Amino acid sequence: MTAVPDIEFRAVTKRYGAVTAVSGIDLAIPPSAFVALLGPSGCGKTTCLRMIGGFEQPSEGQVLIRGRDMAGTPPYRRPVNMVFQQYALFPHLDVEENISYGLRQARPRLSSREIATRAGEALSMVQLAGYGRRKIHELSGGQQQRVALARALVNKPAVLLLDEPLAALDKKLRTDMQIELQNLQREIGITFVLVTHDQEEALSMSDFVCVMNGGRVVQLGQPSEIYDEPADLFVADFVGKTNLVSGKVAGLSGDLVDVALADGTVISARKRVPLSRGEAVSVSLRPESLSLSAPGGGVLKGVVRNRIFLGSTAEYAIEIQGIGSLLAKADHVIGQGNLFKPGEPVAIRFAAGAPLAFPHANNNGTNQREDQHAEILS
Amino acid sequence: MSETGYKPDPDNATGGRKSAGSQPAFPMRRSIFRKNLMTALLLAPATLWLVVFLVLPFVAIAIFSVGERAPEGGYQAALTFAQYANLPARATAFWNTMVLAPVGALACLLVAYPVAYYLALRAPDRWRLILLALIVIPFWTSLLMRTYAWIYILGGRGIPALLAYVGIEDLRLINTPGAVLLGIVYGYLPLMILPIYVSLERLDRRLLEASADLGATPLSTFLGVTLRLSLPGVMTGFSLVMILLLGEYLIPTLLGGGKVFFIGNALVDLFLQSRNWPFGSAIAITLVLVSVVVLIIANRISTRLSGARRVDLI
Amino acid sequence: MPKSYRDGLPITPDKFVDQLMRLKRGSISRRDFLGLTGLGVATAVMARELGIMPAPAYAAENLGDRMSIATWPNYHDPQTFENFKAETGVAVEVNVFGSNEEMLAKLQAGGSGWSLFVPTNYTISTYKKLGIIEPLDMAKLPNFDGKSEDVRFTAEGTIDGTIYAVPKNWGTTGFAVNTKKLSKPMSSWKEFWDTAMTEADGRTMVHDYQLTTIGNALKYYGYSFNSLKQDELAKAEELLLKVKPHLFAVSSDYQPSMRSGDAWMTMCWTNDGAQLHRDIPEIAYVLGKEGGEIWTDFYAIPKDAPNKPAGYALLNYLMNPKVAVKEHLANGAPCTDARVNALLPKEVLDNPILYPAADLLKPLEFGAAATLTDPGRAELMARFKSA
Ligand SMILES: Nc1ncnc2c1ncn2[C@@H]1O[C@H](COP(=O)(O)OP(=O)(O)OP(=O)(O)O)[C@@H](O)[C@H]1O
Ligand SMILES: [Mg+2]
Repeated sequence: MTAVPDIEFRAVTKRYGAVTAVSGIDLAIPPSAFVALLGPSGCGKTTCLRMIGGFEQPSEGQVLIRGRDMAGTPPYRRPVNMVFQQYALFPHLDVEENISYGLRQARPRLSSREIATRAGEALSMVQLAGYGRRKIHELSGGQQQRVALARALVNKPAVLLLDEPLAALDKKLRTDMQIELQNLQREIGITFVLVTHDQEEALSMSDFVCVMNGGRVVQLGQPSEIYDEPADLFVADFVGKTNLVSGKVAGLSGDLVDVALADGTVISARKRVPLSRGEAVSVSLRPESLSLSAPGGGVLKGVVRNRIFLGSTAEYAIEIQGIGSLLAKADHVIGQGNLFKPGEPVAIRFAAGAPLAFPHANNNGTNQREDQHAEILS
Repeated sequence: MSETGYKPDPDNATGGRKSAGSQPAFPMRRSIFRKNLMTALLLAPATLWLVVFLVLPFVAIAIFSVGERAPEGGYQAALTFAQYANLPARATAFWNTMVLAPVGALACLLVAYPVAYYLALRAPDRWRLILLALIVIPFWTSLLMRTYAWIYILGGRGIPALLAYVGIEDLRLINTPGAVLLGIVYGYLPLMILPIYVSLERLDRRLLEASADLGATPLSTFLGVTLRLSLPGVMTGFSLVMILLLGEYLIPTLLGGGKVFFIGNALVDLFLQSRNWPFGSAIAITLVLVSVVVLIIANRISTRLSGARRVDLI
Repeated sequence: MPKSYRDGLPITPDKFVDQLMRLKRGSISRRDFLGLTGLGVATAVMARELGIMPAPAYAAENLGDRMSIATWPNYHDPQTFENFKAETGVAVEVNVFGSNEEMLAKLQAGGSGWSLFVPTNYTISTYKKLGIIEPLDMAKLPNFDGKSEDVRFTAEGTIDGTIYAVPKNWGTTGFAVNTKKLSKPMSSWKEFWDTAMTEADGRTMVHDYQLTTIGNALKYYGYSFNSLKQDELAKAEELLLKVKPHLFAVSSDYQPSMRSGDAWMTMCWTNDGAQLHRDIPEIAYVLGKEGGEIWTDFYAIPKDAPNKPAGYALLNYLMNPKVAVKEHLANGAPCTDARVNALLPKEVLDNPILYPAADLLKPLEFGAAATLTDPGRAELMARFKSA
């Protein structure tokens, strides 16, 4: 660790009565990072964020902000600001009053000139100069979103917390805002913690992705790490599209295992956790790691059932006898006419290290390890 | 920032899911007439009710008010403003009422606000309905009965008797201005609590968190957000209670011993005792006008407080 | 009045509920009080199953099955109406009122629905003048015997030789004093008003009723109880305004306050005085030696009575001495009918509250019709109350 983490969770558990929303999380978020908290609905993302903001107190463990234990510190004394899911803008105040709300709370008091200047800067930062006197209900959803952003950032927080800030926007606006948020984070250089259940958003925007499931952190890493080296079956399945194929461990050699599939084919896969001979496993095959060719050779043989042509790529559903349907994604090179038609038999191949073998899980892939300690360092 | 300026979002034109304040779009205009007609039809029974039970009596009273008292009492036709010219004869009653109404409403507000606040924002969910019911249920029994209960509580056999046990003798609580104020607060409390409760209940809790998040202490959050956003409810309750107090006569009579004379008492006496209908009508008309002025002022304040949105008072 | 008032302090829950139920039935002390319940009229339906049970087959051919009467609170034996219903099949709805003015207001407005009502002496001429009461058809009232009535009490029911109303009870208006609190003996209105401003400061009640409150203030100066003279009324007003800040209440519902000890002295009608004294012996009933009011309540039938046959039938029933004596015992006011008095126990006839000595009765005046409609007295009362 080279710097004091902006946010640190130490063995944090949060219970609501009988419900354990967050259990035993250890987490350190270094300064100036864009971190995404990613996970399915109900996995405890919002709860984590609210514990940072001070709206909830951990049942066990500690939350530290820039090295200071926050136990007993109310929200209004914490150096973080939050962009709420539905923005939570004050309906009785205009845009400028909303933005300067935090500045007016500052003690010692700021001069009204300073408040006006900073609010003006914040407004132009989110490209809303000239909208200061508008009422909140006179703004579009996207504009409201920017006001919420400006209202939080104008206070120069150590960390900006964003709880699904883009969820209410339509797709186009959401893509625009994703880019704006990334740029903004780079410009001001403070830590952003973004909660999302949209894996594409998490991968595309953040420096680090923290994948959560069932109240725990399952994996923490850079987006490419998360995608290429998922810690477990859940991450492999949740992040990006993948094919899961069942099999049994037929042989072990270092990092690699031989997996016998249901139709008897034995493929070579990488393992992420220790496996033993004969153990039931699930093999993850990313669609883009499969390459198709005319019948003859290849690891697996199948028949094209379906084809979705997407321009630069084409997706195929391929039926393999005894295994089931696999999704394959092939680049399309203009002029080569290399598209397979439904009904056509194909051969499938993939690089030796591409498949990943995980212990077969009958639940939805919850990580079994108890003492997950995730830490990222740049 | 990658984008320069905001591009209007085409989806927004449907006025749908995104923001409450999106501009009404062209396709909606066509249906406005049909919508108004529909509204008118739906409101027809209510309108009829208003005409029969509000407008007609009002017209009758207006006609009475320019008439004369018959020698044996009642009304005889005339066209004179003598009744209005005689209004100063009830100046004390008007004055007492003009003091009672706002002071009573204010006292009511001071008690009601914390109760409504507790109910809406602090009470445990499973208790909320029960507590609300406890506040509303007494309202279903007659005010006369409930006020009589206070006569016994404040009367010689009630609190003063208990105080006599601890040596405080001959204390008189009943028939004092304090007793009247107490009765008013008690009698009108639900009318004040409910609208405030509703406005607080509707309050988006995340606004309170947002305020705290932005560094506001609980006190400034209360003043800057909670209180501010509940003001329409406060205005509704305040004007409702105040208007009802303008016509109040029962509580001052029973708990004030009939020594304090309000305009409501003047009206009752004029109609039921001296049977001076024209003068009573002139006072009633004046009272209605005062009430309307109060409502207009309250509505203005409310509208201003809650931004551009209109607030219906009753 | 329930005797429970006498029991210890403070009031117990069931007594309190008793009181509430009593209020709900409308049986509160006489006059003026029910005006409080609003422009509408408090109505107590004593006859149960009103209109639900069909009239018995033996009911008189054209009496119908219901009628309504307007009267004073606590003024009848409820059993009377039950018995009447059992005999005739006519259910009686009882409307109780607070003041003569209020009854008049309701009749003047029309559509009262009453087939019988109980006006006080001085109002009858006005009713007649306004043409809203019926000359009584004495043939339908065989139980009434003019000869057994004291003419002093029947006089105002007869106008120009025609009988418009027949008497029910008579009484006086004096004042009640709690002698434990005010031991100095009192015998005049002058003492009443002077004590109200001194020893009984904050403990005195006067009626919310122009006739008696103004009338007894006039008595302070020895003027007529019914005076309409400007200068005399001005003097009375001066007195009333001077006394006002010292009063406990301006209200005709004085029994509860006298019983609870909140009030020590009050203007008082005979029957209330008798009830108070019976339950709380230290409360004395005093007639001012300068005079004051003597009154008679009558029965009369409105011209627009919806069920005149039943009205006559009930009136005739009430004129039966055996029925009337129960009424008298229930409300405590003296009766005008010698046949009834003959049936009364000796201790009732010897009660000086009900039957004061002749020299005390002599200066008393019946209320004058003019006071009922005089705007001057009404405005004086309004000025007094709003002062
Ligand atoms: N106030 C509360 N009382 C009881 N249970 C709660 C409360 N808040 C959250 N929970 C529970 O805690 C768990 C985690 O909730 P949380 O809101 O953190 O999920 P999330 O990851 O943000 O989900 P989503 O993506 O749907 O917003 C859920 O099972 C939820 O039902
Ligand atoms: Mg959430």
